[in-house]
Amino acid sequence: MVPFRYNVRSLLVRKLTTFATAFGIAMVVFVFAAALMLGAGIERALGNSGRADTVIVLRNGSDAELSSGIQNDLLNLLVSQPGVNTAAQGGVIGEAVAIITAEVVGGAGVSNVLIRATPAGGYAFRPEFKIVAGRAPAPGTNEVVVGKAIAGRFKGVGLNQSFDLRRNRPLNVVGVFEADGSSYESEVWGDLDVIRTSLGRSGAVSSARVRLTSPAQFSSFKASVEGDKQLGMKAMREPDYFRKQSEATSAILVGMGTGVAILFGLAAMLGAAITMNGAVANRSREIGTLRALGFSRWAIWLSFLFEAVVLSVIGGLFGLVMVMGMTLVKFPVLNFQTFSEIVISFEATSGVIIGSLIFTVMMGIVGGLFPAIRAARISPIEAMRG
Amino acid sequence: MNFTTYARRNVFRRRGRTILTIAAIALAVLIFCLIRTFVAMWNAGADAAAVDRLATRHKVSITMQLPKRYIEDVRGVAGVQKASWAVWFGSKDPKKRTEFFAGFAADHESWFDVMDEMQVTPAELAEWKTTPNGAILGDVLAKTLQVKVGDRLTITSDIYPGDWEFKVVGIYKALRRTTDRNTLVFRWDFFNNDPRTSFSHEQIGWMISRISDAKQSAAISQKIDKIFDERDDQTVTMSERAFQLSFLGGFSAILSAFDIISAVILLIMTLILANAVAMNVRERTHEYGVLRAVGFLPRHVGGFIIGESLFIAALGGVIGVAATAGVINGMVGPALEENMAGMFPYFFTPSSVLVTGFAAALVLGILASVLPALRASRLRVTDALRRID
Repeated sequence: MVPFRYNVRSLLVRKLTTFATAFGIAMVVFVFAAALMLGAGIERALGNSGRADTVIVLRNGSDAELSSGIQNDLLNLLVSQPGVNTAAQGGVIGEAVAIITAEVVGGAGVSNVLIRATPAGGYAFRPEFKIVAGRAPAPGTNEVVVGKAIAGRFKGVGLNQSFDLRRNRPLNVVGVFEADGSSYESEVWGDLDVIRTSLGRSGAVSSARVRLTSPAQFSSFKASVEGDKQLGMKAMREPDYFRKQSEATSAILVGMGTGVAILFGLAAMLGAAITMNGAVANRSREIGTLRALGFSRWAIWLSFLFEAVVLSVIGGLFGLVMVMGMTLVKFPVLNFQTFSEIVISFEATSGVIIGSLIFTVMMGIVGGLFPAIRAARISPIEAMRG
Repeated sequence: MNFTTYARRNVFRRRGRTILTIAAIALAVLIFCLIRTFVAMWNAGADAAAVDRLATRHKVSITMQLPKRYIEDVRGVAGVQKASWAVWFGSKDPKKRTEFFAGFAADHESWFDVMDEMQVTPAELAEWKTTPNGAILGDVLAKTLQVKVGDRLTITSDIYPGDWEFKVVGIYKALRRTTDRNTLVFRWDFFNNDPRTSFSHEQIGWMISRISDAKQSAAISQKIDKIFDERDDQTVTMSERAFQLSFLGGFSAILSAFDIISAVILLIMTLILANAVAMNVRERTHEYGVLRAVGFLPRHVGGFIIGESLFIAALGGVIGVAATAGVINGMVGPALEENMAGMFPYFFTPSSVLVTGFAAALVLGILASVLPALRASRLRVTDALRRID
């Protein structure tokens, strides 16, 4: 085996070329890792939300809370279904959701914000709900709280500001809340009756959430609700609902991101191949000497492949360091299911880092493969003759 | 042997390196053009909006509805020629032949007068006006749903329960390339009379008005909104373009990410090219010394280096641009138009994107070689001759 120090020193001798190639690879890894981090962020915001013992009930035919509607009297029939946990903090929570169009602070256009009108028990129903600034809204008033992902992003929807839901029916923002990074953090929550009345929808809610005595009760609850044609509702486990919601958005974003990154990777591989080809051409005399000293073709091949991988990994590590800066960036995306905006943060999970490193090594191997074969083929006698 | 022969022979002296470099540049230009095409097409629907049309929606959100009587107020505004209205239906195909298409209930008396780029024959229009459950749809959608004029069509909705039965009375013709051919329109009065829509009885989703003078659009928009300012449901009126853009607003972050990414690929391309040029120059330093010694001037040496880089970049650029045209117009475009017509009613590479891609390759071809060229031309002859590597 050719000592690894030979490769490392060779890279150091040709500083400028090494730097240019590694920087190109760093850019590619940056794009690739950023796409994976976005996917992890969406997973955290939507994919991971929901509790196994909670069921979301929608009107038959609706796929999202926004387009669903359930009459008040039907809502009361849900409480008597099998498996419902009627203890304190449990039971049935009927909520109305609506979207409002709000102006982005800084004049970057308008976007949709989801408003969730929840009864007094709706906050305790979700133990992950925590006020992080200001205070909780008083029940039965026009006070609302805003999720921390969008607090301050829209005009009127920041702490101590107010916005109109209807003429002369302002909602006052009195607090900011967090909810374990879920998509709730991109919503505004307020009182069910006050908001419903303003929307002119007093007689109905959008959806119902039902806490079961145990996750195992789901199938009997579902069978009972969906079997009752009078109700005309369908039941889904909350995690399944959120997963379904995130599917389209996540697939499109991550698909586009990795598609772009793979094309970028091809370009970077060509860059690495050019550099390594140049290295082989310039060092043919050296390679001939190594062969004459007794290193086998395999050893030469491995040595140059290793050098390509080292070059790639230097770039990859640099790219990963740069991409950590993205964790500070908030990325607003439209959730296709709810038609409202959710703010995603780039999440640097261990999966992202491992995936990026594998991608980096792959680029090095593919880029270095042919130059390494070329190096291995060099005949020692001809090379040393010059 | 003259300048050009020397330059030409030099280009392919390291044939492997030159071919790889050209391939890398072609790939980078291809990626750049693909991304720019995507961004351009994303905005295309909005760019194609008629300048002489205004859209009015509920001030709070497009999902909230307006009383139907508002249309008479809009029609009374000076400068408004015609106005029509529609309600979003949330259409779904019960047989799942398509994931998404636009469907709405519109006023049969006025809709196609205002939206005149959706052309229907007078016979079809007359048929629609006498058929309460009549529906008119775009040719692409008709193909997807496998219906023709005279057929029955069953649609479900995300918002309104049950099956909805329509009779296809016409297929509109798109007069512009940018017109959505994937839309279903049916009669608002039929929709409004159905008990399943009782919770939004006599309500409408949005109004579209055609104005006589496009320059007056801001003033007329204000006039319309002022009428409803003192009522319970306030409105926002904007140009049709702004209205379309507001649907795309949620994607602005993605689009700016693409802007950044398309700049990054150009940077990577420059690095690859600069690296190849630098390697060439380093190998030929001795030779440049010889050239200088026999009487060539520093600018000749610099010119050779820049010229060679420019040639490689131009060749890569041409291949990249040709590949873009082939990939988009031959493969991706038709596939997207067919399968994702809801998002991209049409998809092709605008020539401006191709020109930008090629120009970027040329500019970066010069940028990548300026530094090595300067350095090589400033080298002292004796130093250059001393270098043999």
